[in-house]
Amino acid sequence: MYGGDEVSAIVLDLGSHTCKAGYAGEDAPKAVFPSVVGAIDQMEVDNSTNGEQNSAVDSKTGVKDSERKGKRKLYVGSQSLGFRRDNMEVLSPIKDGVVVDWDIVDSIWDHAFGECLLVDPKEHPMLLAEPSSNSQQQRERTVELMFEKYNVPALFLAKNAVLTSFASGRATALVVDCGGGSTTIAPVHDGYVLQKAVTSCPIGGEYLTDCLLKSLESKGIVIKPRYSFKRKETRPGDFQAVDVEFPNTTESYRLYSQRVIASDIKECVCRAPDTPYDEASYSNIPMTPYELPDGQTIEIGADRFKIPDILFNPSLAQTISGIESFAEVAPNFHGLPQMVIDSINRCDVDIRRDLYSSILLAGGTASMQQLKERLEKDLLEESPQNARVKVLASGNSMERRFSVWIGGSILASLGSFQQMWFSKSEYEEHGASYVQRKCP
Amino acid sequence: MEAVVIDAGSKLLKAGTAVPDQAPPMIIPTQMKRMLEEGSAADSPVVEDFTVDPVVRGCIKDWDAMEDLLQYVLYTGLEWEEGNEGQVLFTDPLFTPKAVKEQLVQLMFETFNVSGFYASEQAVLSLYAVGRISGCTVDIGHGKIDIAPVLEGAVQQISSKRFEIGGLDLTKLLAQELAKSNPTVNLNISDVEKIKEKYSCCAEDEFAYRKTQETNEIEQHTLPDGQVISIGKERYTIGEALFQPVILGLEAHGIVEQLVRCISTVSSDNHRQLLENTVLCGGITAMPGFEDRFQKEAGLCSSAIRPSLVKPPEYMPDKLTEFSAWVGGAILAKVVFPQNQHVTKGEYDETGPSVVHRKCF
Repeated sequence: MYGGDEVSAIVLDLGSHTCKAGYAGEDAPKAVFPSVVGAIDQMEVDNSTNGEQNSAVDSKTGVKDSERKGKRKLYVGSQSLGFRRDNMEVLSPIKDGVVVDWDIVDSIWDHAFGECLLVDPKEHPMLLAEPSSNSQQQRERTVELMFEKYNVPALFLAKNAVLTSFASGRATALVVDCGGGSTTIAPVHDGYVLQKAVTSCPIGGEYLTDCLLKSLESKGIVIKPRYSFKRKETRPGDFQAVDVEFPNTTESYRLYSQRVIASDIKECVCRAPDTPYDEASYSNIPMTPYELPDGQTIEIGADRFKIPDILFNPSLAQTISGIESFAEVAPNFHGLPQMVIDSINRCDVDIRRDLYSSILLAGGTASMQQLKERLEKDLLEESPQNARVKVLASGNSMERRFSVWIGGSILASLGSFQQMWFSKSEYEEHGASYVQRKCP
Repeated sequence: MEAVVIDAGSKLLKAGTAVPDQAPPMIIPTQMKRMLEEGSAADSPVVEDFTVDPVVRGCIKDWDAMEDLLQYVLYTGLEWEEGNEGQVLFTDPLFTPKAVKEQLVQLMFETFNVSGFYASEQAVLSLYAVGRISGCTVDIGHGKIDIAPVLEGAVQQISSKRFEIGGLDLTKLLAQELAKSNPTVNLNISDVEKIKEKYSCCAEDEFAYRKTQETNEIEQHTLPDGQVISIGKERYTIGEALFQPVILGLEAHGIVEQLVRCISTVSSDNHRQLLENTVLCGGITAMPGFEDRFQKEAGLCSSAIRPSLVKPPEYMPDKLTEFSAWVGGAILAKVVFPQNQHVTKGEYDETGPSVVHRKCF
């Protein structure tokens, strides 16, 4: 039992695309940064300087690294990632929803505590958001890392779907979380996730961004990453972008920089179409202009509607050259509305009505314009006759992006929650597997 | 009684009663000398005095020293009487941890017994000083550089950036460069500070900078202790370091590029409003050639919309950039205290230090 006084808890949500961190009780996270890191392998450093490297102030290079992979210097945060370095690879710790590289997760947390929030983890209980279908092994590893390395006084692991439903003030809801790396549908009943009905699919914001990128490339528009050009003043008042060559830039970094720009295009310009997309009817759509950072103005027409429609009609992605065959990526994906109905059908008959009438949209991709209306319309067509379908999403796009974090902030500041923390003494007494009991 | 505004920077502390269109009456260095009294420290036979910096990189680190400093400022400098303390407005830098804010409130109410307290972010105040509520502040201070987009008076925390470089690092760089070209001269950091303020300037653009590195126009300067040093191309290096941090050994882009990247994370409806209302503050920005160079770099940055600087209103004093946060604080004090939106002693006694998070944002 952790009887904390007025010390604020910290809410940490490590998603596949961005990491959100901040104090409980606030209405938005203070630190939001990409959950990828830049890594430079330092195998070339000879043994004599190893000692100095290890004792360097930069704590990002863990000692364990040298035993397994050779040393790596990690760069975390949008500021460090924004600067192009030779041979810097962009790595993500999460693959298919599962954490594979714990050193990267460690460095991301370090960055959040030490550089963004400026807090000492020893003094604040931590509320961590975890994916709705997280394996026992992942949970235990997280708990171990937090208690052993950061010495937090108490922690709690809450499922993303539960936190989203708290953020909207409901205890029973069907949460449709359209995030960066994947889309997860999870029904929540009285604050508990019904595990057997959780479905997830790897089509997320990042996949849509890739589709947009390939689609623009096939039309001959090349997005130049920010580092690859420089403006020169050819005549007073007249500027021109000149390409700059950086031969040692890795492919992953170039892709990362291009994706940043493409996701901005996607956020500004894309809208979900009201009816399913087909080439013929959208071929005469007026084009919307968008100005790229290098000054080039591009016109985007049919892609505005085609890309979001991939969520509803996955086979559209195959029409874009360069995207790998859909069957490999998501064999069972038949569209978002179908996924929702599948998930509800796996639940008990009694609660299906409640779930249909409170479908919550969350995640960055869910803040796309008109997505809510389109989903509601499609669900009305495909759902059983007597079900009253209602899709809810908060009006503010910021709130949709951070709804998991906001739910965590609400939960951690409730008076009745304070007795539910998993404290360090309990961890020492019972071990990491106790988390299954304490954090259902 | 008028409220008092205090802006504690890493180098200079600006304080005074809240009169908005004038320079702060007290501008004193935030540096103190600790003098050990005879007989108080039995284990150190030599009475040494050394300098203490209560504010490091914008954040208050040494609370005892800060208390002494504030005692001097409030009772001696601003002539408060004990028992009749007034209201105080403090300025906070970006990303101040909650614990620091609470400690400051505690210090003010319990040690100084003020009757009212308010704290506000420096970025917002600098914008108020030029008459705006939305825009982007680039605050180049002694200990840190803060880039903060502000919309309708609220700092967009997610898009703000802080760099742990500032005037202090530029001074160290200058000391290094001068030592290289004047190996026989013994330089003191405070002398180098004065030289920096007097001589540093900014080249017009990258090419002009490279030309200055090659030419050799040297000026002679006499230090207080009589030694003569020659200053040549080092003067331009200081200004250039802000636009090319590689000179300082940092892997980062120059200020304008960083500004543009920060803004790109805010939702694009607001980009134009933010970039076209950019405010520069901090002592270094008064360097000759800095603003022109900034405008020039703004034309060359990787963004469609160019940042442009805001002109301060005419009724504001000259050299506003050196204390714009203080002036903004004075403006805010005139609004907040009469309308009772501040934290009063009664509220503090009832709720404790955490009341500051609810009342002041």
